[in-house]
Amino acid sequence: MNIVVLAKQVPDAEAHIDIGEDGKGLTVEQKFTANVFDEFAMEEALRLKEKHGGKVKIITLGTGKATEVLRTGIAMGADEALLLEDGAFLNGDGYATALALSRAAAKEPFDVILCGRQAIDDDRGEVGPMVAQFLGIPHGGGIIKLDIADGTATVECPAEGGKEVLEVKLPALFTAQKGLNEPRVPPIMGVMKAMKAAIPRVAPAELGISPEEAGAAGSKVRTEKYFHPKKKAAVQMIQGEPQEAAVEAVRILMDVERIL
Amino acid sequence: MDFALTEEQEFFKKMIAETVDKMIVPRAAEIDEKDEFPHELWHQFASLGYLGIRYPESVGGMNADKTMCLTFYEEVARGSTGFSTIVNQNCLMGTHFVYKFGNEAIRERCFGPAIRGEKVATICFTEDQSGSDLGATRTRAVKDGDGWRINGTKQWITNGPICDFCTVLATTDPSKGLKGLSFFLVEKGTPGFSGGQTLDKLGARGTATGEVVLDNVWVPDENFLGTEPGQGLVEVGEILGEVRLMVGASALGLARAAYTEALEFSRKRIAFGKPIGSFQLIREKFANMDMEMNAARLMLYYGAWLLEKGMDVTTAAAEAKVYATEVCLKVVDELTRIYGANAFAHEYAPQRYFRDARLFLYGGGTHEVLRDFIGRKLIGRL
Repeated sequence: MNIVVLAKQVPDAEAHIDIGEDGKGLTVEQKFTANVFDEFAMEEALRLKEKHGGKVKIITLGTGKATEVLRTGIAMGADEALLLEDGAFLNGDGYATALALSRAAAKEPFDVILCGRQAIDDDRGEVGPMVAQFLGIPHGGGIIKLDIADGTATVECPAEGGKEVLEVKLPALFTAQKGLNEPRVPPIMGVMKAMKAAIPRVAPAELGISPEEAGAAGSKVRTEKYFHPKKKAAVQMIQGEPQEAAVEAVRILMDVERIL
Repeated sequence: MDFALTEEQEFFKKMIAETVDKMIVPRAAEIDEKDEFPHELWHQFASLGYLGIRYPESVGGMNADKTMCLTFYEEVARGSTGFSTIVNQNCLMGTHFVYKFGNEAIRERCFGPAIRGEKVATICFTEDQSGSDLGATRTRAVKDGDGWRINGTKQWITNGPICDFCTVLATTDPSKGLKGLSFFLVEKGTPGFSGGQTLDKLGARGTATGEVVLDNVWVPDENFLGTEPGQGLVEVGEILGEVRLMVGASALGLARAAYTEALEFSRKRIAFGKPIGSFQLIREKFANMDMEMNAARLMLYYGAWLLEKGMDVTTAAAEAKVYATEVCLKVVDELTRIYGANAFAHEYAPQRYFRDARLFLYGGGTHEVLRDFIGRKLIGRL
């Protein structure tokens, strides 16, 4: 079984982010990590390989530190990696990114493509479905279970108050979410292999992507402005005797914040 | 002078940090509270293969460079001092002599299982009357037929009460003091060998530390771990620099954990209507902690560089160990000040860091002994 994983290197959740004076640019502290949802995808890919045989190929689009997400995949057990690295790929929206990734995935026949349901930096959740659309394959979104037999995948996706079970003919794409699995900790032999791995790179032209289709030039959506979230008061002091204060605290949690 | 880590080293650092965050950090408080050898975590962590980090790939190791080794010790200690103390024995002190001097059968029986985590190793130096003063070692090894008979009691042995095998320092000629010392392998199950009382320690809890009793233990000649009797001190001297850097790196790891805890608290804790990190005297603490931790880091990794180059690391390692430990003690102290009264409660992490930090005053040499040693080296023979 040929399994492709699409992964993204994202800023660490603790990374400091500054919005430019004009609200247009972002300066992100140089601390990165693999998108956690893609880690679920990676783990599921490895489990499929362990069960059905075949190989796992991990693909990412990015520059510089982006190789780390590929090396993480190799350390976990991926057989191959591919980096879409070129200035022309940069600043693309979900559409341009999905186009590039779909072309990269299609370089070889595949049975399953797995990726995270969303990336934790922009939370848009659009690349996976768009890749499926570009490739003309079905997709199951936000899966928490995946079984494959006789060329058909059976997936479970949570739904409001229940779950949906879908049967999908392969090849297909599935986006992974929390609950699908617990990503493995890479063993040291995997880490060593990943450290030494040569990462192949590919430019737009090699994927048949014209300059007008790549990165910002190929984007359909343009970010106009970034805003800081509204600042709330850090602490609300509840006055009164402990019993009174406790009653007031519960009232706030239930009626104001509505989390109880 | 290039201070940058290579891409390989950066990746390794990231991987071990993530592994520690996933596997060790969530269990650190429990390890401390229960104060029991964490068997489940031990087997899970050992299965990843890191215990062979400094040994060649040909024997199941990783052949990591010294910078990666130090990074490893630092990160594991950042996760849990107690757990790292166990790990470090199998990585270095508890396995070095069986690797270097053990025959094929000993390597297969002891070394291999130790770096796979199937056996727990340790090294036994300290006795009731001899800690820094190794020349006062009383554990005696006497030639007996085609083997050695060993009698003595060791104290303060990490993993001692539960180890599967240990490298025991004994004197083969008390009249020669330091020049009469040698190392011997003693394995669990050998008649007369037993783990004694486990200590209830202030910190590094979760490590079974205590006595090892050798009551008329007989071991065959092959269990002598050395070139010739009396060379024990010379032979341990070959790894003493590395051991001291390991201790220093562990201290730095704990300091980082404490520093991170302090940073998060100072951002969230509100006093007088604003985060306490807004106040100058709190900021000064962070400035000082960061400067000193950076200095400790440079000293430690310079020591790793010297070790990697095969250059003399004796003074550098001793200085790095002393400095990094002293910095760790300062950082954990500052954490308890920044945290306020909550640092005084078992419920919160600072008290664990505060207690754990004291461990590093002893491993690799006390600071009084090391400062005297460094001073003598610098001033020279008078």
